[in-house]
Formats: sequence, C-alpha cells, structure tokens
Amino acid sequence: MKKINRRAFSVLLLALLVIAGMVLYVMRYVDHGKDWALAFSRANSGSTGELLDRNGVVLASFSATRNDYNPDPEIRIANYHVTGDYWGRTGTGILSTYWNDLQGFSLLTGTTEAVDKSFSLNVDAELDRAAYRALAGRKGAVLICDYTNGELLCMVSTPAIDPADPEAVPEDGAYINRCLSAAFVPGSVFKLITTAAAIETIPGIENRQFYCEGVTEIAGVEIKCTGDHYSQTFEQALANSCNVAFAKISTLVGQDAMIRYTRDYGFLDGHSLDGIPTAAGSFPLEFVGDPELGWAGIGQSTDLVCPYSLLRYVSAIANDGVLCEPKLIRDGELSLRYRMIEKRTAELLGQMMSYNVAYHYRDTVDFGGLDLCAKTGTAELGDGTSHAWFTGYLQDEAHPYAFVVFIEQGGGGLSAAGAAANEILQFAVNR
Amino acid sequence: MASFSDMMNITSKFGLIVLSLLILLRCLRSMLRERYEPEIWAYIRAGKERLPVSHWENILGRGRGADVRVLGPRVGRVHAVLTRNDHGQWTIYDVFSRGGVWVDDDRVPPSGLPVYDGARIILGETLIRFQELGPEKREKLEKKRTSAGRRVSPALTLLDLTAFQLFLLLQHALSAAPEHLPRIALGFLSLVVLEWTCFNLMRVIGRSGFEVETLAFYLSSLGMSVAASSTPEDMLKQVLLTVAAVLLFLLTGWWLRSLKRSAGMRIPIGVAALGLLAVNVAFSDAVLGARNWLSFGGYSFQPSELVKAAYVYVGAATLDHLYRKRNLFGFIVFSAVCVIALALIGDFGTALIFFVTFLVISFLRSGSIATVFLAVTGAGLAGFLAVSARPYIAQRFATWGHAWEDIYDAGYQQTRAMSAAAAGGLVGKGAGAGWLKEVFAANTDMVFAMVCEEQGLIVGLCMVGALLVLAFFAVRSARNSRSAFHAIAACATMSMLLTQLALNVFGSLDLLPFTGVTFPFVSRGGSSLLACWSMMAYLKGADNRRDASFAVQPGERVKDAPAPEPEEVEE
Repeated sequence: MKKINRRAFSVLLLALLVIAGMVLYVMRYVDHGKDWALAFSRANSGSTGELLDRNGVVLASFSATRNDYNPDPEIRIANYHVTGDYWGRTGTGILSTYWNDLQGFSLLTGTTEAVDKSFSLNVDAELDRAAYRALAGRKGAVLICDYTNGELLCMVSTPAIDPADPEAVPEDGAYINRCLSAAFVPGSVFKLITTAAAIETIPGIENRQFYCEGVTEIAGVEIKCTGDHYSQTFEQALANSCNVAFAKISTLVGQDAMIRYTRDYGFLDGHSLDGIPTAAGSFPLEFVGDPELGWAGIGQSTDLVCPYSLLRYVSAIANDGVLCEPKLIRDGELSLRYRMIEKRTAELLGQMMSYNVAYHYRDTVDFGGLDLCAKTGTAELGDGTSHAWFTGYLQDEAHPYAFVVFIEQGGGGLSAAGAAANEILQFAVNR
Repeated sequence: MASFSDMMNITSKFGLIVLSLLILLRCLRSMLRERYEPEIWAYIRAGKERLPVSHWENILGRGRGADVRVLGPRVGRVHAVLTRNDHGQWTIYDVFSRGGVWVDDDRVPPSGLPVYDGARIILGETLIRFQELGPEKREKLEKKRTSAGRRVSPALTLLDLTAFQLFLLLQHALSAAPEHLPRIALGFLSLVVLEWTCFNLMRVIGRSGFEVETLAFYLSSLGMSVAASSTPEDMLKQVLLTVAAVLLFLLTGWWLRSLKRSAGMRIPIGVAALGLLAVNVAFSDAVLGARNWLSFGGYSFQPSELVKAAYVYVGAATLDHLYRKRNLFGFIVFSAVCVIALALIGDFGTALIFFVTFLVISFLRSGSIATVFLAVTGAGLAGFLAVSARPYIAQRFATWGHAWEDIYDAGYQQTRAMSAAAAGGLVGKGAGAGWLKEVFAANTDMVFAMVCEEQGLIVGLCMVGALLVLAFFAVRSARNSRSAFHAIAACATMSMLLTQLALNVFGSLDLLPFTGVTFPFVSRGGSSLLACWSMMAYLKGADNRRDASFAVQPGERVKDAPAPEPEEVEE
C-alpha cells in the first residue's frame, strides 16, 4: 500500500499543471481582459455614454440596452465618417476606433460597470452638414481645421450612409472615408509642393520669368498647358497654374529634391489622426526622365495625394510653416507641433496663394468677405474626367481655418471645388 | 438610489463569492486538517517489535516501500502480501520471494494460505507472529481515532451551500423570463431537498464525512445554474438527471462496501464497457464530427461518458492481484481497445482523457516510469497519425494560441469564451445576464467561460478549486485506504476529472487546443453527470476516517460476521 500511496502523488502533478494553467490564465486575463471583454460587446456592454460634437450636439448615445444616433438624418449622414457606427462597417469612425475607451471595464466588475463615458469631438456637426450640402450628392471629401491649434472642425466624406437606417445595398464606396483612407491624383494642388521645393533649391526663382505658348517640349515629349500664358513671373505662373512653367521648374529642382520635399512635407507616408490611420500618397521614386518628372511636378504621372496630408501641408503654410497636428478628439490635450516648412518658404507660399485668389480666382467665384489664400487643382484622369481640388486657408484671426475640398471627378477645380469651398467657408465664418 | 433589484443583485453577487470561498475552505480544512489516523487491524510480532497492520492489503518485506517492514535474514524487499477479506479472514501470498514463506510449517504457494491469530510465519529465515485483534480491542482502538466532521461541521458547510443555491435562484429570479421561473425554482429547491435528504440519510446510518458530497453538490448547483440560463425549458430533465445521478452515486458506494464483490466484478464490467463502446461504434449519430451520441426513444446519451466510470473501475486492482500478476498486459489491451474505439467514434478529447488516466493507473499499478514513457511514445505516434488522418484535428492544433487571428471561423468559440469570461470581471454579471449562453456549446465546451461571465472569475476559480480539493482528498485518503483497489480507483477518478477539466477550461481559453470535452458536473449533459456522480463513490470508497463514509464497511461489523471457513480448516 505504501508504494501505491507514494505513486498517488502523480495525481498531484496533474493538479499542479491545472493550477499552473489557471495562474497563466489569470495573468493573461489581467493583461488582456479589457481587450477580450470589449471585443464582441457592442450589443451588451453595461456602459452608458455619448459622443458629442464641439457644441454639445449628440452624435451617438449608448447604454446597455440601446444604441442611438442623432435624431436628424442629415446630421447622421453628414457626420457618418466621423461617428462611424456600432457595427464597425467603417473602420475609421470614432465608434469603431474608440469603442474600447467608450466602454467601461474594470477587472473587478468586468463590463458590468455602469460608467458614463462621454467623448467630445472638435468636429462641428452643423459645419459637416453644410459641407455635406455643398458636395450636393457628388463623391468627395471636405476637411477643415484650425491651423493655430489643430482642431479638426469638419470632416465629411461622401457618399455616406445613414447609420440608423442603413440601406441594404449602400452606394459604392460609402464605407470609405475619402478624407483619410484614400489618395487621389492631385493635379495642380501638387504645384504647392513644387513651388516650395523651387523656392528652397533654385536661388532667385522669385525673380525669374517663364514663357508659355500653350505647349512645350521636354526631351522631345510634349507637355500641354491649359492656355497661352506668355511671359509670366513665378507668382503669376502659380496663379495661372501654368504646366509649361512648372514642368520646367520641376526638372530644375530635380527628382531627388522633389522626392525629398514630397516626403518631408508628409505626402508619402500615412499619418495618424488621433489613432485613426490615414492613407499614404505616392510620387515617382524610381528614376524617371525629365518629361515624366515634369508631369510629376504638376501633379500628374503616378502622383497620389491623400486629402488629409494636403490639409496638414496647407495648415503648416498658414501657420508660418509650423504644423499643429490635427486633432479629432476634444480631450483638452494640446496638439503636437513641429516645423514642417521653413518660415520664409511658408510666407512666400502664403503670399503666392493670396495672390492666386486676388489675381485670378475672384473672377470666377465670389468669395465675399473671405480673406483667402488658396490653390486649385484639376487632376486629369485620362478619360476626359478630372478630380476637382481646392485647398488653402483663411487669413482671419477669428477664423483661422485651413481647408481641403475634393470632388471626385468633379470637373474644374475652381468652378466645382472652389465654389463648394466658398459655400462651406461662408457658413463657417458666419456661424 | 439603487433599486431593490439592484441591491439584491449586488448582495447576491458578493454572497455567491463569499459562500463559494467558504464552502471550499471548509471542505479543504475538513479534509486536510483533520487527522487521518490509520485503522489497525492486526499486529505482526517480529522479535520484540510489534508492528501494526493498518490496511487490508499489506506488503511484508524489508524494503522502504513495505507496509510492514520486517528486517531479518533472507527477507526480501517485497517478500509477501498479507490481505484481509470482507469477512475478516486473512491470507498470505508469497510474491516470488527467494526465501519462500511458511505458515505454521506449511510452504505458502502463490495462491496463498489463510493466516489465523497467533500463526507463526517464516519469511525466508525470519520468524514473525501474526496477532489478530479481537472485535473488542479493535473497537477500543477505533474509538481513539478522530471521526470525520469533528473539526468542521458538515451541516454548517451544507447550510452555506444551501444559501449559495438560494442566492443563485435569486439571481435567476431577477433575470429569467417569468414563464421559466417556476421550473428554475424547482431545479434549485430540488437540489436543496436532495442534499439534505442525502445528509440526513448519512446521519441515520452514522456516517459523518460529507465533504465529497458537498463539493459535488456545489458543482452540480453551478451546473443547474448553467442549465437555467441556457436551457430553462429543460429544467425538469436536469432535475431528474441529478436525482438519478445521486442515486447512482449511492448505489455505487454501496456496491464498493464489499471488496470481494467490487474486485470480482472488474472483468464483467470491463466486458460491458467494451460492449457499450461497440454499440456506439456500430450505431451512432454524428453530431458535429464526433459520433459519440446514441439515441433511442427520443433520449440521447453518450456511452463514452459512462465508459469513463467503468474504465476507472476496471483499472483498479487489489494489491495481491498486482503482485501475483506482475504485468499490465490485460489492462493495456483493454485501454487500447477503448482508445481506438473512441478514435473511431471521432471523440478524440475523450480518447485523450482515457489516455492520461491510463498513464496514471499504469503508474499507480506498476510504479514503472519506463512503461509510462513507452506509452507516451506510442501515443505520440498514434496522435501524429490521427492529426494527419483527420484534417479538422490538425486545424485545431493550427488555431491553438492564435484564436484571436481568426475570430469568425477557427477561433470562433475560443474568442467568444475569452471575451465573455473577461466581461464578467471578478464578480460576474449575474446568473442569466450573460450573452455567451446564446453561443453554440456555451453550456458544455465553454462552460467555464459561461460561469465566469455570470458568476465572475472568483466563482470560476472556485469551480476549478472544488475539483482540486477533491484531488487532494483522493491522494490523502488513498494513504489509509484498506485496499489498493480503492486507492487506485480514487486517484484514477481524480486524474480523469482533472484532465477533463484541463481540456475543457484551457481548450476554451486557447491555452490548449480546443477539444470540446465537458467540465465535470457543470457542463450540460446527462451521461456526464451520471458518470461524475458515480465516480465520486470511488472517493468515498477510499475514505477510511472513522465513521466517515457510507461506502466503507464499519470495522465493528467484524464481530457479527460469520467466520466459518477458518474453523473448518482448523479441524
């Protein structure tokens, strides 16, 4: 019997393994319990909370038993890409990205803890509505931020869905946030980068004259312009958005420098808008000849720009070259700041963008009382259609807004995007 | 201000935790802190020494492992086995000793010779005398032993358990649909009635050890709660099954009272188990890959669950049997047939449980690590073949540790289980208030997570703890059990249940591959409940504290027992 009793300790070995396993589980539970608990708890968490815009408008509210949105359908649709939905159909909305933070969890009570977690955003829901209306059913993206503190005031992407009453078959691309998650052919808005690169790499560029007779040849390849600009200054060339001049300028800057500036200004990388990843852009990185570099310098070739990257760039120009990293969430924390562009370059760019509006754009669009600095873009897609871009900022201490308006296959940059931008900005400053 | 139901909810949550801990600690204290003095049945006089004989099966020899250590010329390490039967008759066997064994000048053959009070026994060249204890003397010695339940009152522990069950019922009352409430109440109240009936029955027959029953009822209460949350319409069935399971427990315990009966029925029971498996292999319904269900007349059951109890029974053996037949051949063949049958059925989880139990039993029986290694190697090869032959097993291994990478397919159940378990926190959401119950197999394969979600991690750990306490108890009891049969059965039972627990809990938490076996007592399933309860009788059979277990025949009976055979031989 004694022998068997000694061997009986093999059972304790099993018991020890069970204990070790339980200890391992408890350790993992302490580490990951929150992530685990909230992974599937959309329908059953005990927390209550609200998602509010900068003025306290409720975009979404939830409790253990109900998940609601704003009662106004237009507000819901206009703000869809900010809010997201409870089912995570769009990955970039706050409800998807910040669900874990919106929910209460403690190791003691699990998700039963009924905490009230309100989340405030910098976005102005009514401004989003205005932007949504200005896009008028076209596919596009509108971004506005305060360049002095980074607060993101407006983020609208169309098409969108009504999260409270989603259609069975939503419009193609309705779940893609065009502001953050996609990059498009930039067209002439890219000339803002070429301009900055030229200012810093070509001495005396400001005083040079450029001649355009509607077409030019670079190494035997024809580059067409939008018109005959004849003799023009650097400033006038940007205002005319002269392809002939800027193709030439980009070859003068050279591919390496163009790549460097595109990268330094943040166009080649994805960024993070309060934890929401944004799309990277592109520029020819492998060696291409001068003709192709000419095309790339005027925003064609293989160039792609994410609207969000463009917003960061124009914000930095507006703020004397210092970027206040945009913030979607109103949590009282200051936005990160860093110098993206040399001060002198930013000032010159600003002057040129101001000149663009005064010299050229006001003939087509009545910008009312807006003190505007801007650049248009009409990106040829090769099928006869073009993306319409309009980006810039207001020189207005009360309304220090930088903006990007993008309309997919929207036609002319100024006539389509510029007009929409005017409508939205008028609403923003008269609010 | 918190509403009345909120107050009840919070009170019951903390009540359940406190009571769980209390029940567990009281059982643990009672089992581990109480003194387990050995019974003394006889003495061996070797020279001037008087050596107590404290089991019904004893090894005589000079080795450290001998129960009665006789040091003298030509005494082997393991020289002889001295056994006592149910009627108090003693027999000595020569277990292949070099020196031989003589009783009153008769050479003892391997088939043994009876030994009486005062007999002269020669081991090799050493003379010892056998001195039996008369009933009066034995009774005197017996009274000196501590009786079970003296330090920790079993009635009080049971009262805690009753409160635990009422708190569970209260929580269900707060969350259940009104039409289910009467049935849920019936479930918990029937448990209360059942456990107190059982307790009073033991009182009446003068038995005071009730820890095993208390822990089994504790686990069954959690099982009842799981049933009430997930399948409230089937409560009546659960009640009937629990009653049947407890009856089976009592029946098995009564059966174990006679060692001759128990040990003698091993082969018929083994044959019956194989028959059951054969029927299973031949006529079974495939439910999700495993064809481990038999159904007739609207009822379905899992033969493999019942075979578990039979397997432990067949694996146990008396000491003389072990030393006279020094090999495991028969048992290995029996085990192999069982495991192959289970593999054919596709129930690989249960096959694994059988295999681990086989390892423990064969180690208990032979003490041979080599045998265990050989078996593990063999099983490793078999397992490799199984994995390559059955793609879904390979897939479970591939998912193991990566459940979160595939939450909609291979990791579906594990991630749901982990999420729900974590969502319960330490105190839980309350009975019936979870969401895991909606997920398929929540009340069987993921039952640990379901309990954690509804009652919290602490109760979940207590649920595991209850089986650990039972395992410690089995090891502790085995030390003083009368026969190796009881010791092996108790230890094998607990290794089987611990393995099952580990596969169930760790499988659902992605710490082991997901095998889909049941958690003892708690998982939904009638066959499993019946098997678990009947195996608890093996633990009772090994519990030799004074007046503790109904499955152990009291020593006092000896004086009434007829002893006809010895007289015949003497004349």
